[in-house]
Amino acid sequence: MDTSDQKQIERRVFTSFFQAGIVEAFTGIILVQLGLPALFSRSGFGDLESALLALPIALVLLIGVFLVRKFVIVRRLGHVKFLPERRRRISKLIIVPTLTLIAGAIVGYVFTENAPLRHAFVAQIPFILIPIIVFGAAAYFLDMKRLYVYGAIVGLVFPVGKYLETVIVSPNTLPATILFASFVFLGIAITSLVAFLRKHHEPEV
Amino acid sequence: MKELKNQENRQTADSLSQIMNIDRLVHSPARLSILTYLSVVEEGDAVYLLNQTGLTWGNLSANVTRLQEAGYIEVVKEFKHNKPHTVLKLTDRGRKAFQDYQNKMKGLLAIKSLSPGRRESRLNRMK
Repeated sequence: MDTSDQKQIERRVFTSFFQAGIVEAFTGIILVQLGLPALFSRSGFGDLESALLALPIALVLLIGVFLVRKFVIVRRLGHVKFLPERRRRISKLIIVPTLTLIAGAIVGYVFTENAPLRHAFVAQIPFILIPIIVFGAAAYFLDMKRLYVYGAIVGLVFPVGKYLETVIVSPNTLPATILFASFVFLGIAITSLVAFLRKHHEPEV
Repeated sequence: MKELKNQENRQTADSLSQIMNIDRLVHSPARLSILTYLSVVEEGDAVYLLNQTGLTWGNLSANVTRLQEAGYIEVVKEFKHNKPHTVLKLTDRGRKAFQDYQNKMKGLLAIKSLSPGRRESRLNRMK
């Protein structure tokens, strides 16, 4: 067994802690947080009201994920303190919210009244790029290739929704598309969790 | 050419003699598995090892005790939320023993580079 074998084992151990649908649940919650305010604002609520209405739902889902992680997943997989190298890599994940903030600022600028880029297609680019950049950074630092795919899917949701709006003329087409994608991710998360629970039983001490 | 063959023979004999000096405490599959999974983390609890190695509680406990007695692993027993919680950590001695074991096995597996006929004759000579 050489160093590369050990690295592979370490990676396998690390990723095993994310196989119960946690990543998919977070992706689903991000999409819920994007889709619900859009749905509420198109139903007549103001932007701030829509965001405030959607927030508790996302918070409840987030708390649920943390509780499942703490009381279901960790109890079955055990507690581990990873090597400093891995911990350093995880700590670099701070770049993800930083990127989100920067990208959000760019999107905000693009959508202000006096923004230079108001063309319909150009305006969609940030919505495609932000998830790809953010999920790409997470995939790199967490060493999880499937996050690249999730980034691409989340990035495609907005343009697909916009396209569907031209086919199905309804104010709710875009939020419905985003929420459909979120339900797909949440569905994958629940399926993964059920599969995990079938495979791992809580050990009796 | 002959010198090269002699050198190769010496290397093979050295590799095979290493098997006699291998650390039997590490060589057991269960203990090797425990050491491997502890070597890739800073510390882990018993549930982690149980889950990764696939051993039973009894088997894990027996092998952990042997490794602890040899000073290869450090075991800390504590209470977490009123429940017993056992944290295991590879000691420097254990890490060194594990690395030595890996190096010896690598040397031994170098025999694989010989042709099957020569490998067999070497093994017969060793017997």
